[in-house]
Amino acid sequence: MVKTFQDIPGVEWVEGTGNFITIDEEKCTGCGNCLKVCLAGCYEIVNKKARIRSMEKCMECGACWYSCEDGAIVFSWPAGGTGFRTNWG
Amino acid sequence: MAEQYDVIVVGAGFGGPVAAKKCADSGLHTIMLERAKIPGEKVVSGLVIPVYGFLFGPAFIREGNPPIERPIRSVMNRFVKNGEVYASDHSLRLPAPFTVGYSTYCKPFCTWLADRAVDSGVELRTATTAVDVIKENGSVQGVITDKGEELRSKIVIDAGGTQNNLSLKAGIRQKFVPEAIELYMIWDFEMAKNDVDSVFGNSMEFFHAMPEERIGAPLGYGSTLYFFTYRDSIHPGLGQFLLTEGKISNVAKLLREYFDNFTTKVRRWREDIAPKVKLRAITWDVCPIYAGLIREMREMPYFGDGMLIIGDAAGFESAAFGDGVPSAWFSAEIAAGVALEAIKAGDTSKSFLKRYEDRVKVDSFIMHTITDTRRWDMREILKSRSENELKKRIRDHWGIGAFRYKYMGGPCLKAAGRSIKNAPGIIVKWKEMFQRYYRNWENNSFDSLSTD
Repeated sequence: MVKTFQDIPGVEWVEGTGNFITIDEEKCTGCGNCLKVCLAGCYEIVNKKARIRSMEKCMECGACWYSCEDGAIVFSWPAGGTGFRTNWG
Repeated sequence: MAEQYDVIVVGAGFGGPVAAKKCADSGLHTIMLERAKIPGEKVVSGLVIPVYGFLFGPAFIREGNPPIERPIRSVMNRFVKNGEVYASDHSLRLPAPFTVGYSTYCKPFCTWLADRAVDSGVELRTATTAVDVIKENGSVQGVITDKGEELRSKIVIDAGGTQNNLSLKAGIRQKFVPEAIELYMIWDFEMAKNDVDSVFGNSMEFFHAMPEERIGAPLGYGSTLYFFTYRDSIHPGLGQFLLTEGKISNVAKLLREYFDNFTTKVRRWREDIAPKVKLRAITWDVCPIYAGLIREMREMPYFGDGMLIIGDAAGFESAAFGDGVPSAWFSAEIAAGVALEAIKAGDTSKSFLKRYEDRVKVDSFIMHTITDTRRWDMREILKSRSENELKKRIRDHWGIGAFRYKYMGGPCLKAAGRSIKNAPGIIVKWKEMFQRYYRNWENNSFDSLSTD
């Protein structure tokens, strides 16, 4: 299955990525850095903890991972052949 | 039984195929893993590859017909205040067929590079993610794929790009600090070739402004709004570092706001460009532009027992220009050479592979470009607020001053001297390259791709 979104033209997302970004709730202090740097709107804060709202527009940039000063976000690559792709990068 | 290779190259972006091809050309049994289905379709960049990458990088690129979008012969710097261009600096321009670089889309170019590696006998496995290293007695012995397959090799060359954490898993590197990382966003627009020709010509164009204009990150904290020009499209983008003036800033909101401001306020956009373009794609990514300017990042090793790390994964990003392709090519060739020597000597230990670091450190371009402070130092203008100072610095950065000996002039002269000493015939190759690339572009004729 391939998904597209009107607000991010020219990019397709292939399903089947697996959970390639995870949040360690114990470590998260709810600082909100991940929300500030995520262009895909993947994050929300619920009960003072970051939570993944939706990964469907994630472009796998890892800005959240770099910005997480608590070391709560773990980032790895999606499964091969899945996730975003574009002809116009 | 795990499959055994001499070399596993992880990543078929700009650097990986160069390393893999050179290994295979030397007779090494080489496999290249790529997590995308087609090489380059996950590589996001506003991309003009500087000409020094072509002149002093791999011969097969210089002598080949890679897919380029437009020969870039000059840099147009626009200075903006209250939405108006009040001054321009077009001091850096060259006559055809000479160029300062070539624009390209990542997907066809990376596919072209991977095709050349495959031609040389590299086994390319796409849609395959390397999820971990195999480590025995402290030494990297191969990788584990997302399918759970174990691939063994004498050396792993990590060409996985900025966010790749294979070298972190190997215990060699740590993730980049946010101060080193720029988040950039790119808007790709279709534009008729005749319009690109008349509005931009063969120039790339930058828009510089004081921070109150809000059409880009505070000076020194990001990539000024740039327009890279392609055959029949344009590729504007801008970026800001994750850490600005000591704090994680609201970059996701700011980047969109800067571009909105530019497109609503700046007359050059509204009158000359907007009526002729149609939005085609929006992409973003991060890159470690300041990795070489932060000591703890610069001093992180880029080799370990059984592993060599190249390109963005090693932090080899140009701190002034933000380009990483030439250093990916240079480090790929050095790494492949060292891999061959190590395998021949039967010694892939860290102490043997240190010669990779020794050679990177004397490369005319890699060390110079990763420690170039011209962009970082723009921060000083945030205090002085001097427009003349801004113009002077931009002339030294993106204008003719960029060729001063202490900037790019020195590394270019040194590399040219060494290249000519090694093989005087290269002068002819350089001339042929400029002419052939230009002709290819005029005829819109390049090597066919395996994806065609």
